[in-house]
Amino acid sequence: EINLMDELTLKGVTQYYAFVQERQKVHCLNTLFSKLQINQSIIFCNSTQRVELLAKKITELGYSCFYIHARMNQQHRNRVFHDFRQGLCRNLVCSDLFTRGIDIQAVNVVINFDFPKHAETYLHRIGRSGRYGHLGVAINLITYEDRFSLHRIESELGTEIKPIPKIIDKALYVAEYG
Amino acid sequence: TDGQEEVNIPPESVQDKVFFIFNNLSLANMDQKSGELLDCVSDDYLPWVSQYLVMKRASIEHNFHTLYAHFIDHLKKDEIMTIVVKETFRNIKVLLSSDKGVANFSDRSLLKNLGHWLGMLTLARNKPILQLDIDLKSLVYEAYQKGSQELLYVVPFVAKVVESCAKSKVFKPYNPWTMAIMNVLAELHQEPDLKLNLKFEIEVLCKTLNLEVNDLTASNYLKDKSRLETLECQLSASTKVKESPSTPQPE
Repeated sequence: EINLMDELTLKGVTQYYAFVQERQKVHCLNTLFSKLQINQSIIFCNSTQRVELLAKKITELGYSCFYIHARMNQQHRNRVFHDFRQGLCRNLVCSDLFTRGIDIQAVNVVINFDFPKHAETYLHRIGRSGRYGHLGVAINLITYEDRFSLHRIESELGTEIKPIPKIIDKALYVAEYG
Repeated sequence: TDGQEEVNIPPESVQDKVFFIFNNLSLANMDQKSGELLDCVSDDYLPWVSQYLVMKRASIEHNFHTLYAHFIDHLKKDEIMTIVVKETFRNIKVLLSSDKGVANFSDRSLLKNLGHWLGMLTLARNKPILQLDIDLKSLVYEAYQKGSQELLYVVPFVAKVVESCAKSKVFKPYNPWTMAIMNVLAELHQEPDLKLNLKFEIEVLCKTLNLEVNDLTASNYLKDKSRLETLECQLSASTKVKESPSTPQPE
C-alpha cells in the first residue's frame, strides 16, 4: 500500500549504519542476510542502473529478489509490486519511485545500499505512516563520501543513526519478540 | 518435559547458511534451496533446523506458512515433518501453560500463528490431532471455567487450528470430531457476556467452514461443572478455576 498520508514517522524503526567501502557493499549485504531474521526486505539504490546491476548480482548469489525502478512502465511496476506484496519473492531492490513511503507489514528490514543525498528521500524510504507503526530495522551502508550526508540527514530529521552492533536484538524488528 | 529440548547446535558458519536460505526462500527457488539446505546440514542437525523453523519462522511469519510447509515436503525426509509437528506441539504447550495474568499480545499472536501452522500440517492433510497431544474441546472448557483472560488465548488459537478442516476431505463438516468442537464454540457464542472479538472469531470460523452458527447444536458442555473433577489441565496451573457464586456450596 502506498501511503498517501503526509505523516511519515521514524518511530518504531531502529536505524543503524555500517561504514564500508563501495566494493565491500555486496559482501556486507551477504553478512546481513546471514545474520538477520528477515521476513521481507527492501533494498534501495540511488539510480536505476545500479538497481539492475545489484539485482542481477545478488540473484546470482542466491537471493530471492525482484527489482523495480522509475524506467519501467507503470503496468510492469504494478505487477512487480503486487507480486512482492503477495510474498512471491522475499526482497525488493528499488530506486526512489515511491514518493510517499511504503507500508507493507511483512517488510521488517530496509537497507540503504546507497545512502540518499536528501533527508526527504531518506524519510520516504525508511519512514512509515504513524497509523501502523510496525517495528523495523533500517541499515545504511555508508561510504567515506556519504559521511557528511549522514550527519546532515540525522540532524535535519532529528533522529539517531547508530553504528551497527555485532548482534541486533530481535525485539527491535521481529514483531512477536516485543 | 516443557523445557527447551536438547538439540545439537551446528557451528556458526552452518547457522549463517541456514539463516540465509530461510531469508531467501520462495516458491520459485524451492528445489534449489532444499538442495542447499540438505547439503549444508547433516542429519544430526535436523532437529535444530526443525526447531528454528517452528520457533523463529512459523510462529512469527504467518504470511509464509504455505511456503514453509511446501519446503518441508520438498526436503523429502519424512522424519523432518515428524520432528516439526512434535516441535509445534511442544511450543504450543509452553505458550498455553504460560502465565496469562497480564495481557500478553505477543504470546497470543504466537499461539494463533502456531495454531494455523499446526492445522495446516495436520488437519488440512487429513491427519488427526490426537487427544494425547492436544485436546481442543477440553481446552475450550478449561478456559471457559477459568475466565475471560484464558478465553482470549484459547478461542482464537482453536479457531485457527480448526480453520484447516475446510481444506480436508476427512475433517470438513460434518465430520463428528470437527462438529463436536463447533458445537462447543456455538455454545460459547451464545454466552451473553462473551467478548465481541471472540464472537467474531467464531463467526469467521463458521463462514470458513460454510456453516451457520445458528444451525449448530449448541451443546451443554461448558456449563457442566461435573467435568471439572476429571479435567486434565492444559492451561497454566497457577490460575484457579473460578468459583461460581450462583452455585451454592454444600455445607
